[in-house]
Amino acid sequence: MMLNCKEVSHLVSQRQDGPLTFGERLKMRLHLLLCDACRRFERQAAFLRDAMRRYRE
Amino acid sequence: MALPIAAPMPTPDLIAQFAAHRAYLLRVARLQLRNDELAEDVVQDTLVSALQGAAGFSGKSSVKTWLTGILRHKIVDAIRRKTSAPAFTTLADECQIDDFDALFDATGHWENPPSAWGNPEGDLERREFFDMMDFCLEKLPPNTARVFMMREVMELESDEICKELSITSTNLWVIMYRARMSLRECLEQNWFASKPRPVA
Repeated sequence: MMLNCKEVSHLVSQRQDGPLTFGERLKMRLHLLLCDACRRFERQAAFLRDAMRRYRE
Repeated sequence: MALPIAAPMPTPDLIAQFAAHRAYLLRVARLQLRNDELAEDVVQDTLVSALQGAAGFSGKSSVKTWLTGILRHKIVDAIRRKTSAPAFTTLADECQIDDFDALFDATGHWENPPSAWGNPEGDLERREFFDMMDFCLEKLPPNTARVFMMREVMELESDEICKELSITSTNLWVIMYRARMSLRECLEQNWFASKPRPVA
């Protein structure tokens, strides 16, 4: 069952706060392989975290 | 202020560093507590604790990181004292994930897909970028900002935050999702949109 972008955005965010199940991770990765928009979102979410770490310093 | 008798006095240099970081500590405290007076008190307590504990500062982390650690505990204590009622009376309002549904169409695809940000890491060297971060953080609803800062600035673990604030992990995920989506939109519209588009 393929995930849509909205569902993937939830998982990308959730992953930053705790582990996903194996199934969730797999489905997310599959979607990310095929979706430019969500790949960007994932990179941007990671950047946001880096930015907050820098903000701290 | 009673210093332990055997402890050496904090050096003038250390004290000067405390003063230098005060503005930053105040900014963090204000964003968390949304109350200038309380933020002042908390930062004051933090610096006093730091002076008392200066002998225990190993110098392994930076002074700023050490002070932020003390500040974290003080902020959590202040929040606990302040909200003797259920921790977040407006949490339910801030807990709706639905608002961000509008960013997706009926089939769950992005209405406006995230645009390419190029190599944004370079922006982390720029003062103006962090001013924009401040602007975007200020736009977050207060409880959302508080939780987001606890996780991303104070770097508390998810279960620690849930325990401190008596919220479920689902509550936490929703709040963090809202914060990240909001910040991403804000940065894209106000910072990255006005930069020349990278090629492809």
